[in-house]
Amino acid sequence: MGIPAAQMIAVTRYVLKQRIAGRARYPLVLMLEPLFRCNLACTGCGKIQYPAALLKRHLSVQDCLAASDECGAPVVSIAGGEPLLHPRIADIVRGLVARRRFVYLCTNALLLEDKLDEFEPDNHLSFSVHMDGPRAEHDRSVCRAGVYDTAIAAIRTALRRGFRVTTNTTLFDGADPERMRTFFDDMMQLGIEGMMISPGYSYQKAPDREHFLRREQSHRLFARMLESPRKTWRFNQSPLFLQFLTGKRDFECTPWGNPTYNIFGWQRPCYLLQDGYASTFRELMEETDWAQYGRASHNPRCQDCMVHCGFEPSAVNATFGSVRGMAATVSALVKESL
Amino acid sequence: MNNPRIAELIDRAFDYRGYVTLSRHDGAKLIGFVYDRGVAHVDVLDQAAESRIRIEVDEIADIEFTGEDSAAKAQAIWERRRGALEAVEVPAQGELQQRPVLILVALPIELRSVAGALGSKLRGTTVRGRAGTTGVVGLALGIAGGAARAVAVEQPGLVISCGFAGALEPSLATGDLVLASSVCDETGETITADEPVLRVVRRALAASPVRIVEGEILCTTRIAGTAGDKRALARPDRLAVDLESWPVAHAAVQAGVPWLALRAVVDPLDIDLPAFTREPRKSYVAPALRHALGGRRAIAELADLAQRARTAGRSLERALCRLDQIVAGLHGGRGRS
Repeated sequence: MGIPAAQMIAVTRYVLKQRIAGRARYPLVLMLEPLFRCNLACTGCGKIQYPAALLKRHLSVQDCLAASDECGAPVVSIAGGEPLLHPRIADIVRGLVARRRFVYLCTNALLLEDKLDEFEPDNHLSFSVHMDGPRAEHDRSVCRAGVYDTAIAAIRTALRRGFRVTTNTTLFDGADPERMRTFFDDMMQLGIEGMMISPGYSYQKAPDREHFLRREQSHRLFARMLESPRKTWRFNQSPLFLQFLTGKRDFECTPWGNPTYNIFGWQRPCYLLQDGYASTFRELMEETDWAQYGRASHNPRCQDCMVHCGFEPSAVNATFGSVRGMAATVSALVKESL
Repeated sequence: MNNPRIAELIDRAFDYRGYVTLSRHDGAKLIGFVYDRGVAHVDVLDQAAESRIRIEVDEIADIEFTGEDSAAKAQAIWERRRGALEAVEVPAQGELQQRPVLILVALPIELRSVAGALGSKLRGTTVRGRAGTTGVVGLALGIAGGAARAVAVEQPGLVISCGFAGALEPSLATGDLVLASSVCDETGETITADEPVLRVVRRALAASPVRIVEGEILCTTRIAGTAGDKRALARPDRLAVDLESWPVAHAAVQAGVPWLALRAVVDPLDIDLPAFTREPRKSYVAPALRHALGGRRAIAELADLAQRARTAGRSLERALCRLDQIVAGLHGGRGRS
């Protein structure tokens, strides 16, 4: 598993504290979107289609830190848009690290080499580089030539300079399991800490809505891709979540697990759906009608969703929710199998 | 909510990724982006995405979908392109594309250099022109500022703080250009310039006949007019002093727009400016005339200052003649080395 021990211990301590306090709903990862502006227009992204004036808006450093304080999640994933386009992204990261949050700065890495000087290596900071597969697949996914090579060069530089680097990979219909296995080998050979994988979500506003995976397709793809995983592969994810992707387990969504904050406020109900905004984190948690979401709700927008922002928290809950869940997690970690 | 037509329009507006025009029963209209709605209200961000406005549903008479649907546009582009990849040179979404360069100066005399470089005529305190295919707007804001408002109104893709400065480094001569690697205010708050932008500017100005140095510009609230004033402000790596660069950079950063500050030295470190220039004024014409009445020495001082201002102005104009290369560099190469 590609998560450092210090981070695992901090998250475990946090989860146990929540459970002891009897909290039914608590956040694990704050999804912070400081801006929607991006320097790519990816085929499956439904996040950046806004008028120019909105694309120019961004959260201030104070807004971002206040959101983290309000939410209290031990992990902060800075997404967007492209966070490195934010003029004070380094100050945001510095403030979050000072609060001992584990920060994943999600980036397409086009600006990473230029911006590295603004950051200091820290075990609380990881660059999570968007890599949707081998060169041809990735460049096709981001709709631009040369992005894969730029990202690889940036990853090498970041690693050389002592930064934690992970990759995040979104998979769509048509992905070739064998080529993806080779891609995992390539990423691990670079020396990254771990990989994150997830099927894409069928954003209503994404330019290409034809290639999102349905649930059964996801199971087939991930089962073939992760069959007999190589010892060298490390995933920055819960093993139970990976088992969920392959169809070996089933979970219900935990939409409050990864609450999202952006220029509009606290997004209801999750990172993927936009049913409105709450002005405070408390309002989001207490006044959202959570029963309307997840597979059991029969909400059509949730039926094929298997994205990590909803199900990774479910996997963590499963780990800590029963002896069997804990045993399954420990077994997967020890055997390094899925 | 009793009106099903309005209820349906609100749902559509909430789902719409573009501006809508809301008409109220009292005849007032509001253009904005509907980002949330409740049972009895609609939340709107105004067109500049600056203010949040809550409107009661009962006040709404009609909603028109007057702005471009950015989601539909993105899909149309993707459909057209299908399979073909963007070239590497495509700019960042929402950045320079179709947005002007905004050049902010304090004084009309500084704006003349902008007009000269653009080959355009001054119209009051404004000059408009083009750098390649990109529009350029030059504004003389006066000493009082107004950068944030100018940025909000012009919606630029790049902001340039331009004009004259005093040298804080002994080797700098009249007409030398200072490119800010950072700008600092009197409290010590510093804004660092974006390295990719600096890289493009360096490349564009490399062949310029004017000497260009790079370092910190200090921004004060009072004119440092005497050699003593300037020496007191001098620090290692701090090259020049002006009144405007920090607020301009701050306004640009707040708006998420790339910026640069390029200043031409008028008065070297050991030169005292005539006393009338040491107070910020809207116009220096009348005070200069009054100063000239002070005798031969005062006239010589004025002539010297005018000559220095001309030299500095020419340097700025020469540098700004390369604005098209800067814009092209930023269009094509943001983020790449």
